[in-house]
Amino acid sequence: MPIEVVLLFAWMLVIAFLAFIACTFEDLESDMGSQSNPNSQVQLAAQVGQINRFFNKAISGEPLSNAMYCVTAGTIAWILLMQLEPLVPGEEWKAAVLAIPIGVLGAVVINIIFSTTSHCGRTAAMKRFEQPIYLDVLYGHLMPIGAHAFMTTFCITCIAYIQSNIGTLSGNPALDHPFALPLLGFIWGITVGSIGSSTGDVHYGTEREFQDRPFGEGKRVVYHGKITRYASCGIRTQRDIAGFCAKFGGPCTGMTFGLIILFTNWTTLVGMQLGGFLPNLPAFTAIGDMAAIWTIVLGLLIVAALAVGHLIFVKWVRKKCGPFVGE
Amino acid sequence: MEPVILLIVGYVVIGGLLACVAAHLLPVGGAPAAMGTATGIATGTVQIMLGAAMTGLFTAASVDTYTDSLLLVTLSGAVGATVMICVVMFMANIIYGFGAGVVPVSGRVDVDPITKEPQAPYKTPQCDGHGVPIVVFVSGSLGGFIGGFGGALMYYTLLNYAHFSAGTAAIGAISIFVANAILAAYNIRGTIEGFHDPKFKRLPYALVASFAVSLLCGIVVSLTAVLGGTL
Repeated sequence: MPIEVVLLFAWMLVIAFLAFIACTFEDLESDMGSQSNPNSQVQLAAQVGQINRFFNKAISGEPLSNAMYCVTAGTIAWILLMQLEPLVPGEEWKAAVLAIPIGVLGAVVINIIFSTTSHCGRTAAMKRFEQPIYLDVLYGHLMPIGAHAFMTTFCITCIAYIQSNIGTLSGNPALDHPFALPLLGFIWGITVGSIGSSTGDVHYGTEREFQDRPFGEGKRVVYHGKITRYASCGIRTQRDIAGFCAKFGGPCTGMTFGLIILFTNWTTLVGMQLGGFLPNLPAFTAIGDMAAIWTIVLGLLIVAALAVGHLIFVKWVRKKCGPFVGE
Repeated sequence: MEPVILLIVGYVVIGGLLACVAAHLLPVGGAPAAMGTATGIATGTVQIMLGAAMTGLFTAASVDTYTDSLLLVTLSGAVGATVMICVVMFMANIIYGFGAGVVPVSGRVDVDPITKEPQAPYKTPQCDGHGVPIVVFVSGSLGGFIGGFGGALMYYTLLNYAHFSAGTAAIGAISIFVANAILAAYNIRGTIEGFHDPKFKRLPYALVASFAVSLLCGIVVSLTAVLGGTL
């Protein structure tokens, strides 16, 4: 197999690994700051008399906020790359090593500003329910939120950089993705937030927020707002929650995004290989059509495998747990 | 009027209508699903629809670099979005099952229309179902496929008929998609399980609104292409 093709597949695996890290940290960042859907319970807690020491950071839906950070980082990095790459001809990666972290730092600063204003604003609005703004909670969570956000945005920007230069990196510039770096950051920012919001939040919302309620049942409407406020030692803050979710919810969420990135890139690359498109790239011919057909067929096979896996899992878990036996 | 303008408007309208139908098919659980109080994916309509469409768009854009067939590009977009939504539903169920000990169960029907398994005995009282049961998974997969198809169709139209650049075509397709998904979200009002949900019967109202919005978007796209000199 030609070295260009091997390098393409190697870069694809790097992208999938970065995606795993990115979405794990995205979920933990949303747990650390209580963003997204389970935050409705933190909002509700003070209103039903449950004064708490939770961080209350609902900037917006996770997809949009993450898209904002990733586009900010991507745009700064892209501008810096434009300026720095001509200075190191032949060794453009040196420009990326400097440009990407600087871009991501810019995005993290914006994240921390939004976290501060949204926590203070939302908690101040609960004054009538006697919910104080605990300054140690505010100060103690900003750095962990920023650190988690840095990891997410950094990995997504790296994915966008690799994808927009994947052809150049593997020796065939015609294979570079047609989208520019900031647009790829936008696409994966939306997707990473969408997945972090839909998958990982379940572990935080269903289990950790209501840990003193019976395990193994959906959380009833009467429980809503009555969140678990005490930790194994002392009063619970978000730092206890991120540590708990890092054991299951975070990695599961990371695996979701990692698998999606792996499958979408893998089907495309294997389709190109099976269709005879690599490494010569005879575009817009029957070979290109064949590559597309292989991509679609492989994608449908993955969908079928997932459907069968889901069917088996649902049947197994229903049999294992059985009908509801509580009151 | 040039026939290609009719083609652009027609495809944008079809893409918009498909996006609207897809949003109704997706199992949207919203905030209650994050607490295991409602069936479906634990996020809003627009957010999950957008995530799926983005993945589809990425696949479609990759495939569009080596084939010029409309059908192949749109189908690859549809499959990309379906893969995304299937992985999300499967992994969400893994967390429901192993992380919270919750059994996937539909809250809107007593018997699963596909497997004929009973739902009511497994449901927690005072909950509107929880997890992603089989009928919901099937509906969600269909939604992902239709939504991805619609998104990729709009991308292909903007790229190859209106001759926008790849980035502009992507942003344009996403924008029209979001407008239609938001219309669907208004119609859904919170949560929906899929085609078996009684709320699905409201679809015609959303389609009328979606047709109007997509038609307007198609006209704007055509005007932009004509005035911008790409057509």
